[in-house]
Amino acid sequence: MSNRPAPPPLPDDPIDVKQSHVVAEFQHDVALTTCRLDPQARFAFAGAEDFNVYRWSVDGGNESKTVFSGHESWVRCLDFSPDGERLYTAGYDDRIGVWDTAAAKPKPLEMIEAHKGWVRWVKVNRDGTRLVSCGNDNLIKLWSLPDGKLIQEFRGHERHPYAVLFHPDEQRLASFDLMGNIKEWDIASGKELRSFEAKFMWGFDQKFRADMGGARDMIFSEDGKTLIVAGLTNVTNAFAGVHNPMILLFNWEKFEPQHKLTDASYKGMSWGVRTHPEGFLAAVGAPQGGSKGAIWFWKPGEEKPFHTVTLSHCGRGLDMTADGRRIAVAQFDGLLKIYQLTRKS
Amino acid sequence: MRRDTGCHRIDHALSRRGFLAGTAAGAAAMGGVLTPAQADQLQSGQKRLLQVFLQGGFSQFETFDPKPGTKYGGPFRQIETSVPGMMICELLPHMATRMHKLSIIRSINLRTNDHGKGRLFMEKGRNVGEFPYVGSVAAKYLAPPNPTLPTYLHITTRGLSDNTNAFLEAQHAQMKLPGTKAPDNLARPDKLTVEAARRRADFRAQLNERFSGGKGQSAFTETFDSSFEMAERLMSQKGLLEAEPSGKDLERYGSHPFGRRCVLARNLLQNGATVVKVTHHGYDTHAENFNFHLEQLGEFDQTFCMLLDDIEATGMLDSTLIMVYSEFGRTPKINQRYGRDHWGASVSMALGGAGIKPGVTVGATNKEGTEVSDREVDAGHLFHTYFSALGIDPTADHNVPGKSIPIGDPAKSSIKELLV
Repeated sequence: MSNRPAPPPLPDDPIDVKQSHVVAEFQHDVALTTCRLDPQARFAFAGAEDFNVYRWSVDGGNESKTVFSGHESWVRCLDFSPDGERLYTAGYDDRIGVWDTAAAKPKPLEMIEAHKGWVRWVKVNRDGTRLVSCGNDNLIKLWSLPDGKLIQEFRGHERHPYAVLFHPDEQRLASFDLMGNIKEWDIASGKELRSFEAKFMWGFDQKFRADMGGARDMIFSEDGKTLIVAGLTNVTNAFAGVHNPMILLFNWEKFEPQHKLTDASYKGMSWGVRTHPEGFLAAVGAPQGGSKGAIWFWKPGEEKPFHTVTLSHCGRGLDMTADGRRIAVAQFDGLLKIYQLTRKS
Repeated sequence: MRRDTGCHRIDHALSRRGFLAGTAAGAAAMGGVLTPAQADQLQSGQKRLLQVFLQGGFSQFETFDPKPGTKYGGPFRQIETSVPGMMICELLPHMATRMHKLSIIRSINLRTNDHGKGRLFMEKGRNVGEFPYVGSVAAKYLAPPNPTLPTYLHITTRGLSDNTNAFLEAQHAQMKLPGTKAPDNLARPDKLTVEAARRRADFRAQLNERFSGGKGQSAFTETFDSSFEMAERLMSQKGLLEAEPSGKDLERYGSHPFGRRCVLARNLLQNGATVVKVTHHGYDTHAENFNFHLEQLGEFDQTFCMLLDDIEATGMLDSTLIMVYSEFGRTPKINQRYGRDHWGASVSMALGGAGIKPGVTVGATNKEGTEVSDREVDAGHLFHTYFSALGIDPTADHNVPGKSIPIGDPAKSSIKELLV
């Protein structure tokens, strides 16, 4: 499978997710933790349950696999500078890695000692001059780029923040923590502006005395009116992973939930979500039992996905090209797949 | 070894009779100052046992046998400890500074992935048969003649009801304390006057005397009497159970339930308890093993170390055997939910205090932690070791009339390199 030929040039065919098909597969020998496509969609990147990040050329086959080695723990979040020249990696070794995206022999350009505890999330702003991160020290930190200097700390989360983003207006941040707390922050002052308890994306397991919740992926809609969060709901047994996946569409202006997309028949978690230019969502899921993952295509407001693609193993991450014609999915079995959302050529 | 990927309902069932197995116990809070009771204990040379049970099966990778950078190593790093060359997981930074007071066993093979079987093996030192728990055996042979507290106390809000004393006398059975409060129904009912209660006790004593005259009936009356005696001891120590920890204690131990339980454990030990077991729940991490170990060990590490420090500060470390253990470990393989499942083939634990040589690492697992590679032991060897450390010959027979029952499994022996 690793010698699958390079994907054909993108056709002009209309988007038809019901004809989604795999156009490239890349194999690693360790479970993957996340994936991203660079802004030009030249490369597919994945974190793994070793300490490395891996890069494949989208049209280069498995032989194009290149190792980004430098972290001393897992990486579960990746982001790029807007021009795609720099890759930023959030390490569970407390550090943010800075890399040359296209380097032939990648080495970290910089390793920023960013948090006391895991760095769970990194995100670059639209002009590439700022980066925001969150970590297990319960802090959100704003960094300047390219010098990597700390500009601001945001304090207020009492449990681990799982994800943080720039609002498209670049004046505010959004963050989401283990307990389901959504917070809005003013970048200039560092102050918390608003907070909402999305308790339906958290559960306290009475039997095991533990909290389960948090965002596994988070994005803003292009217009900044909706925060979209992938995670879980209906926790009944945290330690066995018995819960349902949830995609929350959160009205950012009213600061309240707008749609809660979930499938009660599916036990598990959603690990990734993207908005499609045509207005629907693509999300990836991992089941509680069994091995089959899922890609759901969902129209906001509808009760059920309008199409589901079954994955050979559970999905650990999802990304989409800017034109919405291709998506990348990282799997537990080490497979990174590129799907084309049109009919086969 | 075949993986067990799930738990059975009985393993997680709340105890319905746990409290009835005993009735409860009590303690006073004294911090680092020796009370008269403590002074008496130290002078008498009494030894005692503290069991810290991490229920559910903590991960050996995320505690005492880290394998960072290997196939199954997970995301955490290892850190140096106060013992040169001894590395433990970064989730235990407080323990790392105190490992010169403790020792590690990394080579336990329990040959079971079942909660119940693993727990019973770790407690009884035998994997089949009706034998008493280590706590009941320690209570029988270590408790003073007239203890001020029930001799085997278990602070937990969960747990199965067990026949912990097996063939030993009923007063050595485990008594469960439901967290840091007095057990329900401990106090004399308001409608029952002191005089009426005294008359009731006298009447019970008369009946016992007549009943125990019958052949073979003494064991029944003894069991019955034992329940009343334990309840009376507890009633006299009710204040100890209900005492609110000081602000300083809450700051040091943490204000969470496990912190409060460990403050109570300390107070019980300092006030004459012989065996105290305190359970920290929440290690059965079939999903999100790493996030949950972060949370659970974050609570455990500092709290346990404060308890260790206080035991040492009051001069009781040399006379108190300390166990940190689970019913098994967790799989090397990380499942699709970022969990680790049940695993008994390569398990770790920590020991310290009375009779234990500190700073020792016993055994090893292979590079990926999938099997024991050196000095394999099981719960039978551990059982011998506990009692050798406490000065009780585990090869001797129990004092049970008419029967020859060795304290430890005769096929096993102590881990000599751990003993002082």
